[in-house]
Amino acid sequence: MTALLDARGVVKRFGGLTAVDGVDIGVGAGEMVGLIGPNGSGKTTLFDCLSRVSSLDAGSVRFDGVDISRHRPHQVARLGLARTFQLIRVYRELTVSENMELSIQWARVGPASLFGRTDPATRRRAESLLEFLLLSRLRDERAGALSGGQRRLLEIGMALMSEPKLLLLDEATSGVNPTLVAEIADRLREVNANGVAILLVEHNVGFVAELCHRVVVLDRGAKLAEGTPGQVMEDPAVIEAYFGAEGE
Amino acid sequence: MRPATSGEPAAGARPGNPGRRRLLVRASVGLLVLLAVLPALPGVGDATLFTLTLMLTSVAVAVNWNLTGGFTGYVDFGHAVWFGIGAYTTAILMSLQTNGPQIGWSAPPAIILGAVVAGVLAAAIGRATMRLKGPYFSIALLGTFVAVREIVRVSGGITGGGVGLTLPPYLNRPLFYYIELALVAGLVALTWWLRGTRFGAALVAIREDEVGAETRGINTTRLKVTVFSFAGFSTGLFGGLWAYQNTFVDPDIAFVEVRTIDAVMGTMLGGLGTVAGPVVGTVGLFWLREFLWTHLLDYHLIAQGVLLIVIVLFLPRGLVGIIDPRGTSVTALWRRWVGRSARPDEPERDP
Repeated sequence: MTALLDARGVVKRFGGLTAVDGVDIGVGAGEMVGLIGPNGSGKTTLFDCLSRVSSLDAGSVRFDGVDISRHRPHQVARLGLARTFQLIRVYRELTVSENMELSIQWARVGPASLFGRTDPATRRRAESLLEFLLLSRLRDERAGALSGGQRRLLEIGMALMSEPKLLLLDEATSGVNPTLVAEIADRLREVNANGVAILLVEHNVGFVAELCHRVVVLDRGAKLAEGTPGQVMEDPAVIEAYFGAEGE
Repeated sequence: MRPATSGEPAAGARPGNPGRRRLLVRASVGLLVLLAVLPALPGVGDATLFTLTLMLTSVAVAVNWNLTGGFTGYVDFGHAVWFGIGAYTTAILMSLQTNGPQIGWSAPPAIILGAVVAGVLAAAIGRATMRLKGPYFSIALLGTFVAVREIVRVSGGITGGGVGLTLPPYLNRPLFYYIELALVAGLVALTWWLRGTRFGAALVAIREDEVGAETRGINTTRLKVTVFSFAGFSTGLFGGLWAYQNTFVDPDIAFVEVRTIDAVMGTMLGGLGTVAGPVVGTVGLFWLREFLWTHLLDYHLIAQGVLLIVIVLFLPRGLVGIIDPRGTSVTALWRRWVGRSARPDEPERDP
């Protein structure tokens, strides 16, 4: 499979702490990959490095054939890499519709479009995604007035608005009502079936095992294991990282 | 399929009442017509027109401050520096006095070049400082303001130093009034139009969540420096007009901290991040100050301080915010300014 995302030897340090320590990770076109690991294993920091929210101390990241190691986040987004955040980032004082309509693919926004109003095609796409994410009836509400789960869905919708090639989802089910988790899983399957590759950070290991083709496990900033969900769940090193050594 | 909701939206949801907004537009047009016929009314002399022109200048400065402070969330404590730069550039280009460079340009090109100089310097300063957040940015701009004023004071060969510069007098008050009225009306219309564009919405996105905006493809640096530069240009333009009307500039009257404070207070009183807010707030503040000055001479500054507290406590979205929810509140701006944004899973506590 062609690697859409190919990160090699990624290192990120905060003072004396090495949060990500020489991690290699790749995602193929149309693939759905899970990234799991105990708290503090460096998953979110790795996401920040991949989306260039954080700089890299060493290593390289290529996306769709382009070296993005020194790109700014907006340049990465314009290449087709969209992400969500562990702590949800939506524009709280804007309406749900405005949030969606602002999350277009900005690579296509020229000067005329920048100083123009939202076009009907963007409105239709936003409306259709809101329907897909079951948020249609909240379109005119301020994003800050939504519940945590609704905001989580909105953030996924905003990421999808930019028609990404790769979606980085950080804790997509965190804080979401359990009855909604299955619906999010259905939506992600559908998105992936439409050709969008997904790299998913999750605490919910069952959710990852159900959805992903491949799983990467991080522990203390380093890659511990990689394989199919079945292989990874049976890996003694993974079991030890999550539950501690036998007899401890 | 069951809707993905877990309860009704919290209080504070956007009412989205277009009728109220229409009312606001009609009131603005009515006010504009009234202001246009004002010089023709009996009893309105040059002194009144001069006062009204000064009020329009304050409105313009507040509208420009609101572009960066209200829309984009970058609280600029040194905004008056662009006014002073516009005023001084105009004065330097027009003045013929012996302690100046004696260039002797006419007013229109001098005022326009003054605005351009302010805009270019704002772009340069903005590029350097807008990577700073919250109080760091605000203090950097306050420092810029103080530094520029002192540079002007010590550059006597060009600026006339502490003595200042005198401009050729042209005291046609009605003309100045109409020019400023037209420019302010145009500026407000431009702000209204801008707010409806993707550019305007992206500025609000930067205010709401700059990291989020950047990761969604918005070139935040370019947009915020562009709007900062435009605000500098526009305030510089009004600085040039003011210098020409005033016929004299010196560092202490061209670079006045109160001009920034008035812009901040007027915008807060009217409604941060709204189009009409800085206009309504600055006009209200102007007349309130006249009233306090006349009736409470010894206590007028205390009364202004009390007003600021009242705004924060009881009108965090300002006067316009009561009918137009498209702005932000003082409390939200404060939280962002000190870097204490509400956690995403926290319910919003703004009214």
